[in-house]
Amino acid sequence: MDQLVDQFFDFGIMFDPDNFDKVMAGFWFTIKLAIIAGILSLLWGLVLAVLRQTPGKLGRIIRWPVIAYIDVFRGIPALLVILIVSTALGALSQPDLETGAGALLPRWIGVPDWFGQPAPFWYGVIAITITYGAYMAEVYRAGIEAVPSGQMEAARSLGMSHRQAMRQVIVPQAVRKVIPPLLNDFIALMKDTTLVSFIGLIEVVQAGYDIASETFSSSALTLGALLFVLVTIPLARLVDWMIARQQARYERGIA
Amino acid sequence: MRAGDGPGGLAPTEALATDGDGAFLRLEGVRKSFADLVVLDGVDLAIRRGEVVCVLGPSGSGKSTLLRCVNLLSPPDSGRIVLEGEEITGRGEAGIDFVRQRVGMVFQQFNLFPLKTALENVTLAPRAVLGRDEGECRRRGEELLDRVGMSDKVAEYPDRLSGGQQQRVAIARALAMDPHVMLFDEVTSALDPELVKEVLDVMRELADEGMTMLVVTHEIGFAREAADRVIFMDGGVIVEEGPPAQVIDAPRHERTKAFLGLVLEH
Repeated sequence: MDQLVDQFFDFGIMFDPDNFDKVMAGFWFTIKLAIIAGILSLLWGLVLAVLRQTPGKLGRIIRWPVIAYIDVFRGIPALLVILIVSTALGALSQPDLETGAGALLPRWIGVPDWFGQPAPFWYGVIAITITYGAYMAEVYRAGIEAVPSGQMEAARSLGMSHRQAMRQVIVPQAVRKVIPPLLNDFIALMKDTTLVSFIGLIEVVQAGYDIASETFSSSALTLGALLFVLVTIPLARLVDWMIARQQARYERGIA
Repeated sequence: MRAGDGPGGLAPTEALATDGDGAFLRLEGVRKSFADLVVLDGVDLAIRRGEVVCVLGPSGSGKSTLLRCVNLLSPPDSGRIVLEGEEITGRGEAGIDFVRQRVGMVFQQFNLFPLKTALENVTLAPRAVLGRDEGECRRRGEELLDRVGMSDKVAEYPDRLSGGQQQRVAIARALAMDPHVMLFDEVTSALDPELVKEVLDVMRELADEGMTMLVVTHEIGFAREAADRVIFMDGGVIVEEGPPAQVIDAPRHERTKAFLGLVLEH
């Protein structure tokens, strides 16, 4: 029993100031990454979802590439996208030493250090936005399709364009319907931000793993897990509460 | 309503274009199918300015589709629609803009915007489409809500209104675009019986003021007293048309008799 406690809950290791600071610093990266990538994914997903609804035959020129994008990036593991983005951006901003040709991308894009964050941080933001934008587009789409068709017809019959109707009438209703599933996606996104450890960012998982390798105890990883749960469980409860509230509204006939 | 109209006036004051026969809205050979199902099988119809035309018929007869063809919510597969001397069919977005700014529509399910108050429902389109300033839209919106008897509910959201109240707001919303023609698609069919009258009263008033109206309805009483002309549709064609006294009280066609027999016997 003691052995198990030491393995997972060795407070000496967890709260050793060096270890604790290292894990907290890692978790802080995770939080920053999740918030920035989360906001960008929410926006990007909405853009994709609205473009996907472009009406008419000509609209196919926009609809089809958007559908292809969503299908492709929902089907690729986030880790793979992270690795592709980091290797590609890094390599494309290097001049070709053999041919002497210049770099395709300027260095500030290929190896970004915006707002004092290291390049792997931004590779993670880009890759996760690409991936989760596709997921969230599908959530928004479900919301848009759940708005009764009479809403679009009423707006169009009043002379509003498709774009005006989407912006003023459809999207505000759709977004309200899908806030709970979007939050669910945000929880998943937050967990997937840990994958940036693969490209050299010492976030919470990597920090815990480094300590575990030195101490042969999993306690620093447990600490990371506890930090996650501290954020994700309240979020999950919030989602449940919102769903219950929506359900109640629906049963009263006003949702 | 144009500047210079009295506050209650709804009839456009300027002379509006009609085509050669004096028709304001003309449908010629309008056909519409959904996949294999032929819903409109060649409809010809000419409506004069200020005329109130009620369309009767069993469900599936194509009445609602006829209305949705007129404002191109559901564009016809073939045939022509001419409004105020201008053909609106086959002109793409230009035809759509022309007809939607001149023809208002009220729906069976009201279709109010749930996140907007009664007043915001009424002012949204004039602001977004016509670019009118907020104060003017507000004033005009309050005036219209007052006309439909909803002046004490301007700040309410649709979920706090009864069906009849919602439908009256929907009428005010359509009127806010200053339509020359109003389409009513079974606007009392989703209402509890005691709420039907308040909506029909508003429609009667509109008719009295000279609004051109095309009304799909099951309210035979309304058709008898408010309509200038009644049309009976079945199977995607107009079976019989004429003054209400003739079509409702002395129908000539067997299908009309059968339908009215079923509707009127209780």
